[in-house]
Amino acid sequence: MSRKINLTLKVWRQKNASSSGRFETYEAKGIDTDASFLEMLDVVNEQLEKRGVEPIAFDHDCREGICGMCGAVVNGMAHGPEKETTLCQLHMRKFKDGDTITIEPWRANGFPIVRDLVCDRSAFDRIISAGGFIGVRTGQAPEAHSVPVGKDKADWAMDAAECIGCGACVAACPNASAMLFVSAKVTHLNVLPQGQPEKNKRVLGMVSQMDAEGFGNCSNHYECEAACPKGISVKNIAKMNRDYLAAAIKA
Amino acid sequence: MITKLAPFFRSSVFKKQLVAITGLILVGFIIVHLAGNFIIFLGPDAFNHYSATLHAVPELLWIARVILIVAAIVHIYFTIVLTIENRKSGGAGRYAVKTTHGETNFAKKFMILTGLLLFFFLFLHLADFTLGEKTVEQTTLKGVDLGLYGLVWNSFLNPFRVVVYLAAVWCVGMHLSHGIQSMFQSIGFYHNRYTPQIRSASLVLGAVIAAGFSLIPVVIIVRHLMGGPTV
Repeated sequence: MSRKINLTLKVWRQKNASSSGRFETYEAKGIDTDASFLEMLDVVNEQLEKRGVEPIAFDHDCREGICGMCGAVVNGMAHGPEKETTLCQLHMRKFKDGDTITIEPWRANGFPIVRDLVCDRSAFDRIISAGGFIGVRTGQAPEAHSVPVGKDKADWAMDAAECIGCGACVAACPNASAMLFVSAKVTHLNVLPQGQPEKNKRVLGMVSQMDAEGFGNCSNHYECEAACPKGISVKNIAKMNRDYLAAAIKA
Repeated sequence: MITKLAPFFRSSVFKKQLVAITGLILVGFIIVHLAGNFIIFLGPDAFNHYSATLHAVPELLWIARVILIVAAIVHIYFTIVLTIENRKSGGAGRYAVKTTHGETNFAKKFMILTGLLLFFFLFLHLADFTLGEKTVEQTTLKGVDLGLYGLVWNSFLNPFRVVVYLAAVWCVGMHLSHGIQSMFQSIGFYHNRYTPQIRSASLVLGAVIAAGFSLIPVVIIVRHLMGGPTV
C-alpha cells in the first residue's frame, strides 16, 4: 500500500569543483512511499524549479541497479541504509513520515565533486586503462569449451565481475581507499585462464595507478564490503594483495 | 636493484605487507614474552633462572633484540606513513552524519593511537624492568634479595605503575584484536571457511593476551594482601 509521506532533506549544494559547498534544507511534501530515492529527488527538483531554485544535480542512468552511475551518502551511509542496494533501488517506504534525510556526495580526494551530488569518478577509468583488460585480438566468440574454466574459478570471476564501479566502497572507506573496486577488477581477470599472461603486469599497473589517483590505503575495516551494492567480498582484496606480493617478488 | 625496488616501497599494498610481516614478528614476541612471564607464578627461583637463561648467551639475546628493534622501527615508520596518507585522502570523519556500515569498530579506528601509546609505554617498561642498575631495596622482599622477581613484585605494589601497565596491556589486546586478522588479509590469505575463524580468533587472542598480562600484577597484589610471598 503506497502512502504519502513528508520529509525534510538536508542536501549538499555545491556550484562547481572550486566553490565551497554547504547544506541546504528543503521540505519534500507528499512523497509516494513506492517512489525510489531518485524519483523522490525528481519530485523535489520539480518543486524547486517551480520556486525558481536550481534543481539538485545527481548522477543516474539505468535506475535498475546495474549501471553504477547513481549513488549518494544518505544519512552517513553510501547508497543509504539498505544492504546490497543501489540508491535507485532504495525505496521511500524505508523512511518514516517526518524523517530528516541528509544527502551528501561521495567524498574522497580521488573523486572531486563536480556539482552538488555529482563527483568525477574518471579515476576508476584510468585504473582500468592501467591493466583492467585482456590484451588479445578480438574476433568471433571462441567455442565455449576451448578454454576449460573450473566451476569455482568461474563463480569467483563472476562474483568479482558484478562490480558496477559505483564508488560506494571509496565513499564508505574511512581511508577513502579504492581497494575493493581495484581488487574486484584485478581478480575477475586474474582468476581466469585468459587473464594469466598479463596477471603480474595487471596487478602492478592497476595498483600503481590507484595510488597515483590519491586514494587512501586499505586498513582492513571492511566497511567497503558492507556498503557494496553488489556484495563484492574483501576476499578479492586478499587475492589482489597476494597477486601483488607474487608479482613484486618476480619483478 | 635499489631503483627497481623503490616503487614497491611507495606502493600502498607493499607498505601494508611490510607492516603485516613486521607485525607478525612483534606478535610472536608478545606471545613468547607472555609465556615467559608466566614463569613468575612458579616462584622466585624459577623466574630468576628463566631470566638468567635468557641472558646466558648475550650474542643470541642481541640478535633477537636487533630483529625486534628493526621490526618495530619498520612497523612504526610505515604505519605512520600510511596513516598520514590516509588522512590526506579525504578519509575519516568527512560526512555530516557520523555512522558506519557496521564493520568498523573502536579497535580498528584507533590502531595508530594504541600503537603509539604502546611505543611510549615500551620506554617506561624497559626503564622499569630491563635497563639500568637496580638498588638492593628494589629487589628485596621481606629482607631477602630476590633479584628480578623481587623487582617485579615491588614494582607492582605501586598503584600508579599498575594502572599504566594495565592500560598498556589492554592497548596491546585491542591492537592485536584487529592486527592479527589484518595480517592475514594484507599478506593475501583468505579462505572461505578459515577466514571467519581467524577473525574471531583474532578478537579472542587479543583479549586473552591482555588478560594474561593483567593477571601478573593482579596475582601479585592479591598475594601481597594475603601476606606476601613465602620466602
